[in-house]
Amino acid sequence: MPVAPQRETLEADVLIVGGGPAGLACALHLAALIKKHNESGAKPELSTENIYLLEKGREIGANQLSGAVMDPRGLAELVPDFEKSAPLDTPVTDDAAWFFTSKGAWKFPITPPPLRNHGNYVISLSKLSKWLGGLVEKTGVNLFTGFAGSSLILEGDRVCGVITDDKGLDKNSKAKSNYTPGYELRAKVTVLAEGPRGSLTKQLVSHAKLDGLNPQVYSIGVKELWEVPDGRIKPGFVAHTMGWPVPASMYGGGWLYGMQGNRVSVGLVIGLEYADPLFDPHEAFQKYKTHPFIRRVLEGGKLVRYGAKTIPAGGWYSMPRPYVDGALIIGDSGSFLDAQKLKGIHMAIKSGMMAAETILDALAKGNASAKALSAFKDRVDASWAKKQLWSVRNFHQGFAHGLVPGLFHAAFQQISGGRGLVDPMRAHAGHEAYAHLDGRKPPAERFKGDGKLTFDRLTDVYHSGTRHDDDEPCHLLVSDTNICVGRCTQEFGNPCQYFCPAAVYEMVEERGERKLKINAANCVHCKTCDIADPYQIITWVPPEGGGGPNYEGM
Amino acid sequence: MKILVVTEQREGQWNRASFETLAAAQQAARDTGASISAAVVGKGVGALAKELAAHKVAEVFSIEHDLLEKYTPDGYTLALKQVISTEKPDFVFFPHTYQVRDFAPKLAASLGRGMIADCVGLRHENGKLIFVRQMFQGKTAADVVFQGDAPWFASFQAGAFRGDQVEMGGTSSPRTVAVDLKPDQIRTKPLELFREAKQAVDLTQAPIIVAIGRGIKEPTNIPLAEKLAQAIGGEIAASRPICDEGWLPMERQIGSSGQTVAPKLYMAIGISGAIQHVVGMKGSRTIVAINKDANAPIFEVADYGIVGDLFEIVPALTEELAKSK
Repeated sequence: MPVAPQRETLEADVLIVGGGPAGLACALHLAALIKKHNESGAKPELSTENIYLLEKGREIGANQLSGAVMDPRGLAELVPDFEKSAPLDTPVTDDAAWFFTSKGAWKFPITPPPLRNHGNYVISLSKLSKWLGGLVEKTGVNLFTGFAGSSLILEGDRVCGVITDDKGLDKNSKAKSNYTPGYELRAKVTVLAEGPRGSLTKQLVSHAKLDGLNPQVYSIGVKELWEVPDGRIKPGFVAHTMGWPVPASMYGGGWLYGMQGNRVSVGLVIGLEYADPLFDPHEAFQKYKTHPFIRRVLEGGKLVRYGAKTIPAGGWYSMPRPYVDGALIIGDSGSFLDAQKLKGIHMAIKSGMMAAETILDALAKGNASAKALSAFKDRVDASWAKKQLWSVRNFHQGFAHGLVPGLFHAAFQQISGGRGLVDPMRAHAGHEAYAHLDGRKPPAERFKGDGKLTFDRLTDVYHSGTRHDDDEPCHLLVSDTNICVGRCTQEFGNPCQYFCPAAVYEMVEERGERKLKINAANCVHCKTCDIADPYQIITWVPPEGGGGPNYEGM
Repeated sequence: MKILVVTEQREGQWNRASFETLAAAQQAARDTGASISAAVVGKGVGALAKELAAHKVAEVFSIEHDLLEKYTPDGYTLALKQVISTEKPDFVFFPHTYQVRDFAPKLAASLGRGMIADCVGLRHENGKLIFVRQMFQGKTAADVVFQGDAPWFASFQAGAFRGDQVEMGGTSSPRTVAVDLKPDQIRTKPLELFREAKQAVDLTQAPIIVAIGRGIKEPTNIPLAEKLAQAIGGEIAASRPICDEGWLPMERQIGSSGQTVAPKLYMAIGISGAIQHVVGMKGSRTIVAINKDANAPIFEVADYGIVGDLFEIVPALTEELAKSK
């Protein structure tokens, strides 16, 4: 690394790290609150120009991905005329839950209440974020795309701001001709809205010991966007499926949504707490598409885009303390996601709005201490967000041992306001669930796909539009590769090769020696490796800003 | 008020950005009424000084010394420090070149002054000169002003001002300013000027390309493919993994993150045909693929395919080609 570069310092009132629905909602709502505050003559006068929002993607929405069927509750509060102005794809018209076997599909006679989506909208989260970004820009807030929050500026337990990514470093971390050290962005309040498994959030939670009762647990979602021939599916058709190909010992399920213009969103969610280290979520998703129910929609169609992202599934009990001196944690980073409905967008927006209200008070009173910012937690506790999260607080934990126990627990939770048979139900970090290989051999050949309906990983990665500079430092830090070639091969068969949906990790033979090859340029920023590596030696850090997937329409 | 423009020359050739800096100084002079002095640094630069004097500046001088013939940071810093103390300019302007980046901060720091570098503009407001520089990779522009006493140092980004818009009509006679430099003050020894190797080949112009992929296994096997390339009169190229490992330079990479080519003949040797590579070569007129995996996707785009061991086939091909010559 270059020796302690001189960094330019900037001072802000508020710094929001992350341009997703949480961060953007916070910025938009705060701008509106500041306007009201100034108009009322209250002092000190505040300015939206002192609010900075950083987004590591090339543009707002570039790294945003979700199914998605959105509950409009959050957006309705943020932008009351959203029905006219927001880029909603289509209202949900047809909503059903299905159980798949390898050849058959059984529709649930009554759609379980959590899976009912009447009144919700099928959307592209990327499009929604892009639109929200446009609204935020109009308010005068400084939106910086292509800039990542690389590390926290910590003074004791106080968060003073963020250092942005160094630009122009080569693969050996030496300065290239366009080297510019990251800025030292200091702020009275820093808002961490980095999405699932945020890297700064991870740093802060560990440093200030903010862990909730349970560690956070995650699921991975693998998604493709297709264009299919006319008449295959109606816009607003929503199907959620359980069963095949997800083994009964695991948590997971699939989705199929019809969108405008003959577009189809299809994907598979898998809980990242399975015992088989050789399980391959990407392969499972490819198999899923061969099910007759799915195949008859997609066959003959065209793959438009591919992507993957993780989902924080731990819910209320996995929520870290969301406030410290000088900082708040919101959105997926703060576990604001209903793990039963797998809906987090409306929660992200609401959490962003509540943060904005807290921040306005803090700025007006000139006090951004942990005590002042703890008002955020009070607001959360009094809101519908808590009510919703509280009612499903033990949901995901019930599935730790598979589908049947999970449904069993869920039934009891449903009739007891979420309490169920065990409250609180504890969770274990997903990476602790792996069973040893015990002599099992990894598959000789990896899944290749037929190139028409199913694809190999590399082809899918190509369709994620992900790009990174060829000559930049590797952003996947493996602290001890000796473990990779030794213990991990023996004990788990190097699961990174299987759980990464982007073919980043490969074990190769070079001159008779086995070694780990990292194809960092393929990374789609899903964070699965940071979560699921059995020894927790992989740390995902943001690559140089602007790199990553291009999730247009996702 | 006096503005000193320090121009840049090497081996008697101007760095043309110097004239852009002159244009910047002229703009500042128009706004503030300042006078402009322009300087050339080196040895035997009288002709350049004369050329400078044809431009609308108040005066021109050459800063001459044997030890300034070749650029060294110490030489330039010490010489300019002396010149600044005698000529007493208020502002010292430079073009923002690599060379200026090397010595100008040192010069400013040695006088206990700061420097506003890489400016893209200048304004005059309320009696102050405001320097504009970019932040956040050009997404914002910052207005920066000096604090404290002169001299004030600034450099200007290439292209921020127009060198061809410099006002001519200068009438001054250049003078020479002597500086005092001793060899032991110059701590670096300038060596031969490094000339960047021209890109060895433009793959997009090559009519025949022989490309290797992971199937080549070791960098020590690459000569096998190079011999084939030679025998057939083609250029060697590679898929991403080969260049990632550094076995061939990046400029030989073909694919979505490399070059896109459409030669008459493309030989894909030990290349699987992942879509990232294929998009870079599928426009080739004739594609020949050699791969031991019959299911490799490359065979879907190949016109001719050989399923077999490249280590047997490539030498055999090379031999046949040599015979047929």
